[in-house]
Amino acid sequence: MKPAAFDYHRPQTLGEALELLAELGDEARPLAGGQSLVPMMNMRVARPEHLVDLNDLAELDFIGVTDRAVEIGAMTRHRAVEHSEPVTRSCPILPVVVHTIGHDAIRERGTLGGSLALADPSAQWPLLAVLLDARIELASQSGRRSVAAGAFFTGVFATAAEPGELVVAASFPKLAPGEGWGYRSFTRRLGDFAIVAAAATVSLGPAGRIETLRLTLSGVGDRPVRLDAVTDRFRGRALDAAELGRAVAAAVTLEDDAIAGAPFRRDLTEVLSTEAVNEAAQRARVR
Amino acid sequence: MAKVPIVLTINGERHEFLAEARKLLSDALREDCHLTGTHIGCEHGVCGACTVWIDGRPGRSCLTFAVQMQGHQVTTIEAIAQDGKLSALQQALHEEHGLQCGFCTPGIVMSCEAWLRDRPEPDEVAVRELLSGNLCRCTGYQNIVSAVLKAARQTRGA
Amino acid sequence: MRDSPLGKPLLRKEDFRFLTGTGRYLDDIEVPRALHAAFVRSPHAHARLHRIDLSRAKAAPGVVAVVGGADVNQWTAPLRMAPPIEGLQPVEVQTLPTEKVRFQGDPVVCIVAADRYLAEDAAELIEIEYEPLPAVASFAAALAPGAPLVDESLSSNLVSHQSFTAGDPARRFAEADRIVEARFSQRRQTHLPIETRGCLAVWDEGRQHLTYHNPNQAPHPLRSTLAARLGLGESQVTVIVPDIGGGFGQKIALYREELTVAALARHLKRPVRWREDRLENLLASSHAREDKARLRAAVTNAGTILALDLELTEDFGAYCFYPANYLARVVAMILTGAYKVKDYRFDVKVALTNKCGNGPMRAPMAITSWVIEGAIDKIARELSLDPIEVRRRNMLRANELPYVTATEQRLEDITPFETMERGLKTIDYAGFRARQAEARVAGRHLGLGVCVVVESTTYGSAFYKAAGIPGSGHEAAWVKVEPSGAVNASVGLMASGQGYETTFAQVVAATIGVDPAQVQLHIGNTDVAPYGMGSRGARGGTAGGSALHLAATEVKEKVLAIAAQLLNLNSPDQLHIEDGAIEWLSDGEWTRTELTLASIARTAYLDPLRLPGGMEPGLEAHRAYDPPPMTFSNATHLCEVEVTTATGTVRILRYVIAEDCGTVLNEMIVEGQQHGATALGIAGALYEALDYDNEGQLRNGTLADYLVPTACEIPNFEIIAMHTPNRRNPIGSKGMAEGGVMGAIGAIGNAVNAALAPLGIEATEQPFSPEYIRSLLR
Repeated sequence: MKPAAFDYHRPQTLGEALELLAELGDEARPLAGGQSLVPMMNMRVARPEHLVDLNDLAELDFIGVTDRAVEIGAMTRHRAVEHSEPVTRSCPILPVVVHTIGHDAIRERGTLGGSLALADPSAQWPLLAVLLDARIELASQSGRRSVAAGAFFTGVFATAAEPGELVVAASFPKLAPGEGWGYRSFTRRLGDFAIVAAAATVSLGPAGRIETLRLTLSGVGDRPVRLDAVTDRFRGRALDAAELGRAVAAAVTLEDDAIAGAPFRRDLTEVLSTEAVNEAAQRARVR
Repeated sequence: MAKVPIVLTINGERHEFLAEARKLLSDALREDCHLTGTHIGCEHGVCGACTVWIDGRPGRSCLTFAVQMQGHQVTTIEAIAQDGKLSALQQALHEEHGLQCGFCTPGIVMSCEAWLRDRPEPDEVAVRELLSGNLCRCTGYQNIVSAVLKAARQTRGA
Repeated sequence: MRDSPLGKPLLRKEDFRFLTGTGRYLDDIEVPRALHAAFVRSPHAHARLHRIDLSRAKAAPGVVAVVGGADVNQWTAPLRMAPPIEGLQPVEVQTLPTEKVRFQGDPVVCIVAADRYLAEDAAELIEIEYEPLPAVASFAAALAPGAPLVDESLSSNLVSHQSFTAGDPARRFAEADRIVEARFSQRRQTHLPIETRGCLAVWDEGRQHLTYHNPNQAPHPLRSTLAARLGLGESQVTVIVPDIGGGFGQKIALYREELTVAALARHLKRPVRWREDRLENLLASSHAREDKARLRAAVTNAGTILALDLELTEDFGAYCFYPANYLARVVAMILTGAYKVKDYRFDVKVALTNKCGNGPMRAPMAITSWVIEGAIDKIARELSLDPIEVRRRNMLRANELPYVTATEQRLEDITPFETMERGLKTIDYAGFRARQAEARVAGRHLGLGVCVVVESTTYGSAFYKAAGIPGSGHEAAWVKVEPSGAVNASVGLMASGQGYETTFAQVVAATIGVDPAQVQLHIGNTDVAPYGMGSRGARGGTAGGSALHLAATEVKEKVLAIAAQLLNLNSPDQLHIEDGAIEWLSDGEWTRTELTLASIARTAYLDPLRLPGGMEPGLEAHRAYDPPPMTFSNATHLCEVEVTTATGTVRILRYVIAEDCGTVLNEMIVEGQQHGATALGIAGALYEALDYDNEGQLRNGTLADYLVPTACEIPNFEIIAMHTPNRRNPIGSKGMAEGGVMGAIGAIGNAVNAALAPLGIEATEQPFSPEYIRSLLR
């Protein structure tokens, strides 16, 4: 399984990279961590004529925390997020979920930008982005723009990025004071892509009633699915996670596929939604 | 398809050769640098047999192009034993019978040596999690785990 | 020898090179001017081959040759698999197909280029016109009326069908208080050694000689086959086996790709090498298992088994690189396991399908233990008896051995009852009911499963004869003491992780009376090693160890005869070798003489006139050993599991193995084999399944979706050694290393069913994936 031939480009600045991507067009792919792209190239499923190596773009490798959000550059390795103290303090769901990506060696090389741009519906970063209402920053020769995560993922391996646009950063709003979080995923083996995963945030109001509740699932569609239509009905009352789980399971549209049948995904949806929301509620502090 | 000159620093030594940009680091190490200790098991990043260090951190050499490694330090299994003396982990694997056919062993050593450098707590759950990125078909993992724990206890005690 | 190294957990000699990355596996061997091969494989499960256009590929950069069956079949003889076995259809396999392809992955064209990258580029330029045909992707489909034929030389896809009856099962079934029926199935799996297949063929035009490097478990049979199929004399071929990165039975046959590469090397007069990639390995190397069994047991209300009736089917894939009956047959033959059942009937059917052909995968008979042990548990459930009591009632005891089974296998020196009792105590079977009940209150579902394994190892020639399979079960060895006293030894086996360099040094050292560090094993080179049958079916320790022991004994006896001569003694009876020195027993005490192994060797080689009259110079012996038709070891596997009903997940809480495998050559290595085999069994019981659709397309052909367990999915094993010697074998060995697979699928099968039985559910299809378990519960 050897990759098809390509021309290799190694820009030293973002500007150079964008210029190359504009010039080379469709036949060029950016290379970030390579942990998803290179296997596809080795299998000749992906065969770009040009590879634009982003690994020298130090300007895209950063983690910053403002009073509102955690800002992460596209070339930040998963491992850096996993071990970042500032991120752990301000948005603790991120390092915990990122820790479940693959294995150590994968996390050393894999990047946020690569994961968002690939838009694998079973991956962790897209799930987190949709859950936390992140904004994804894109750059091209024409300028910059940011897209809400909810609008960014448009299908299996499909995003709202236009030709010539590169994901350069993502901004994850911090959890609100007292906001709890939960994450549950189902894999056959440690490090596999989740068959179904559920991530939730909960904040509790007076008398422990649900004030805000966000639930996002992967594995129930061609992109991460936010269940506001269901979870909004549970606001203002005491949490009945089991009932919520059932409601979510009834709401999702599922199909059989090579990995799992719909009935099994539905079972998992119910179990994981219930557990993730429970976990989030337990972490939440009543205000 | 043209070959380009590539200069790599492997185990502190300079290697210069001609290869296509698409040549994988795993192949370049073995064929152009004649370091055959790094093994190829899948070429899709799952089995971990090809694990080396890139700037001191574990990475899959089958998912890296050799040309990308210009300007970086690559370390392979051949650098672990010093002057024929086994590292604490290698010695522990030997004592605990943590290898049988040996094909996955270099990848396991490279993955675990990096972890041991931080003198971690010898915790079985953590060791099994670490090892989950390296497939072994011979040992059933138990003796590898006990070897890594043994080495962890030694490095922590040291 | 006072402190014999035999059995000791000596650390392995082979470790240094493996730990430091200085091993020498096939792909590490550098040969100048070698060309690299790649194969173009059929994307269709079944299709006629029409036009094949190689011209664009031939013109591609770096390409030296492109060939298909039209060329290669001229240079090689086909494989004819036609042992005179009742019910087995003879088949013939061309080197590369020319008329049609029979499975997705069937190799059609071979490209030889300057490197693999260029060869794969050229592969994309090959134009093949396929006419897709309907495919059969299951046993049932293969035997359905009007099913398309996988092999058109056969009248149906039923390539093998054997039946057998012993005693009067029909009568027993009529007499029975109850008939219990149970079903079991395993999915298709594959060996998946971490090192894939490959070969390097070097043709010496001047000497007209082929040197063939191939990771292969049976070097001499390979040499014979390779020479014959290439039309070369056997003296024109040398097989050299490098370090092997795992075999598990995949690296025994001469595969078509490998033969093609050898033929090309000769044709091109340049070295040609091939390294299979992982996608090829999953799709097109060798597959295994995919057995389905239905067992009916005639029982009394008290739980005595009167008779058994087994129906077994196996999906063999598209090509027979082994006789089609070969794997399934053993399942049926040893089904009765540790139990006294003389009235037994079996019917075994094997069908061809449009999938990769089967090969023996570590414990090809693995399902047998789950079938019998699962049936016993079901008998117990239906009769409301304790499953252990049912075992006790029917199990052979020591005083009932030797026992000849219904299929005429002789069981002796086995201890299933002892291992079962000890295992039960260790896992606290008595306390389990209480643990299980307590857990139920908390909504948790625990189960405990027991599997008593009687493992057939080491077939002797008489076995093959009786089975009608051509071939021998013997093994051969030589031992030489060199003039310096260094000891060299060789045997016709080949290691793929079993630690032979260490264990066989222990055998030879223990027999002669030297330090194992002084003994060097040389294996895998057919010019050096004696002709043996190779490593497979857990025969290495018993067949090879015994042959080495016999050769070492002969050498030792010669040494002592020379010593007696030099010491002016009438006989060597009062002499032995201890740590390389000759000692003399006088007045009940051993005293060192001035003679050593080294000094005697020097005399034997360089001063032969001092040897006893008529004795030849030199110090070496060649011996062969043919074991009894079958040898058995035994174990009991016990495991406690928890089934999470919400998700169908099975978690192993505790796993105990009590094993008797006879005289152990190295207890550390034996434990390692137990771990590895049991892990492979767990893999099949809970994770691994090749997923084909109805059109014969493989849906999970990467390591991302074919689920090989990692360190997080395999538990720790508690091993209780209960070894007793095999009196029929020169070193007391019984063989082992496959029983773990058998025990695991049975113990897990039974544990999960024990957990689910209170819910009225029975799991019969492994792997017990969460999705499958949920489907039963829903």
